Amino acid sequence: MADFFLQALGQVGSPMVLALITIGVLFGIIGGCIPGFTVTMAILVVFPFTFAMDPISGVSLMVGVFVGGYSGGLVSGIMLGIPGTPSSITTVYDGYPMAQKGEPGRALGIGVAASFIGTLISVAVLVFFGPLIASYSMKFRPWEITSLIVFALTLVAGLSNGAMLKGLLAAALGLLITTVGYDRNSNLRFDFDLPVLGSGFEILPVMIGIFAFSQLMGNLEKLRDDKSDIKDVNTNVAIPYRQILVDMSRQKINTVRSSLIGSLVGALPGTGGTVANFISYDQAKKMSRHPERFGTGTPDGIVASEASNSAVAGGAFVPTLALGIPGDLPMAIMMGVLILHGITPGPLMFEQNPVLVGAIYASLLIGAVVMVLSQLLLVRWFAKISLIPQQVLVPVVLMLCAVGAFALNNNLFDVWVLFIFGILGYLLWKAEVPLTPLILGVVLGDNMERQLFRALELDSSWLTFLTRPLSALFLALAVVSLLFSLYQNRKIRLHALETKGE
Amino acid sequence: MNDATRQARSPSDRARQEETRAKAMGHIVLNVTLAVLFIFLFLRAGSLPSSMWEPLGSGSFPRMVLAALVVFNGLIIATEVRHFIAMPALPAKALTGWCYQHRLAFGVLGLFTLFILAVPILGFRWSSLPFLIACQFLLGARHFRGILIAIAVALVMSFGIEALFRDVFTISLPRGLWN
Repeated sequence: MADFFLQALGQVGSPMVLALITIGVLFGIIGGCIPGFTVTMAILVVFPFTFAMDPISGVSLMVGVFVGGYSGGLVSGIMLGIPGTPSSITTVYDGYPMAQKGEPGRALGIGVAASFIGTLISVAVLVFFGPLIASYSMKFRPWEITSLIVFALTLVAGLSNGAMLKGLLAAALGLLITTVGYDRNSNLRFDFDLPVLGSGFEILPVMIGIFAFSQLMGNLEKLRDDKSDIKDVNTNVAIPYRQILVDMSRQKINTVRSSLIGSLVGALPGTGGTVANFISYDQAKKMSRHPERFGTGTPDGIVASEASNSAVAGGAFVPTLALGIPGDLPMAIMMGVLILHGITPGPLMFEQNPVLVGAIYASLLIGAVVMVLSQLLLVRWFAKISLIPQQVLVPVVLMLCAVGAFALNNNLFDVWVLFIFGILGYLLWKAEVPLTPLILGVVLGDNMERQLFRALELDSSWLTFLTRPLSALFLALAVVSLLFSLYQNRKIRLHALETKGE
Repeated sequence: MNDATRQARSPSDRARQEETRAKAMGHIVLNVTLAVLFIFLFLRAGSLPSSMWEPLGSGSFPRMVLAALVVFNGLIIATEVRHFIAMPALPAKALTGWCYQHRLAFGVLGLFTLFILAVPILGFRWSSLPFLIACQFLLGARHFRGILIAIAVALVMSFGIEALFRDVFTISLPRGLWN
């Protein structure tokens, strides 16, 4: 693997690819620092630009966006008190008070340094565990893969805050979308005599439509509710480098612990940066000698939040590359992009495309360096950019989504697919149906059907799913995750009733 | 007057109850529509050919998924009906109020529909330019400076993006009937 990594480093180190990573990181930071834009949206906007690129260039650009996006949320969180992405919510708890006390540069510097170390640790986790899990999962047969996909879908559906049934509905709807068009025996399904439906729906217009429209229309609803003017922000920020070195030297354990939490949470399907930064912040507070300082502008809180949400970047790649199962929503989109470039993520990727895997490692590392340099040098510009109003953002992003959908196959039908699934996504979002399980269902549907067919071809008994230990374990975990979710739902309901009673 | 109405102690309680009932009604309408669609597709999938030498036919996997979808929808409808019945009736103008609240979203979706319809005729450049200006105007670019910014953004994102894709990525965006 070391040879392949060096080979990949050579390719990623070319001026062209370095420039692409830099552009990706800058765009990711910009996307992350604009409230309501999110990392996923940044990835969606950039992906059409990768169509004409070779896989390594395209993937490097996307990885750059990924690294930049996870760290970008801290700028608006610290300067405006509004988290740029949901994964930087806890950054606001201490970053904003510190900035209000007249130390915005210190808050930003600590956040950037923690993000950098978080990304590096998560890459180490990816390099160590990725190949290990991949080599183990090579032993998986169709029964295990089917059960693993069922587990991933139930886990994600169950994690949908008090809406397990809706999460399951969304996951099943995602699976259904993949059944349109020709099946493996060339039989047409649900084509309604429309030739355009013969080849089914492209994954990317479906994913973009579902995610982008609900997100943008949601932003419009906030625009309607929020009548306040844009805050007057002083973007003149000086970074006190010496002070940050002192602060970070006192945060060694907190940084490592938070980075490991971020990597681990990132590797679990359906969790992502938001869960990571809450768990990590909570742990840092519990372990701290001064928990009362949390929320008042302590460096501990910023480090816990930023190290963990940036560590999600590397962690989320572990299940995507090793098992072909994306860890979170941005990674599901990333997987769609890899498939578009003819690469199927999964255990075989380490054997068939080792240079590309090495390129992902190298891009993450280089991206982290570019991220820290850009954040420190250009922070005042990012703070200004985070003030871009939704009235400009929404039409521009919608138009770029349409361009992306069209450029995929030079086909206007894909733009209509984007639009129709966009409306469906918006309606489902309004009905409080979580969209992450839906997108995961869309990404995993084809593979699930294929593996189920193969399993039953090899042994027509459904009982085999329960007699094979690992398959039975995954199915048992799926049941446990649903039961746990039912318990959580009940707890949330009882809590709501108690609050109402008071 | 039902129990919930009697228990509503303040105008904010009443507003919350109305919101819960409105939401429940919306969810029921959506889930009933989806359930009907899934039952129709389930029946249609039954006519898909089965395989002589494979344990599962073409329609087996979709039918499994559709059956699960019908069950999930049924359970959600049952839950929402309970919420709907427990809350007081909605005021007569609730639907109009909801549409008015969502006017920006509907406006943008309407403009986006016009944009897609216009692309094959006018081409990407000339359909995205008015779309971007109209959208920004709708969302609040009303003053002179705002309109100037909107025009500049629209020019860059329509002509600029078209040129970028054509010259750098060698991907040709639609050029319309007259080009």
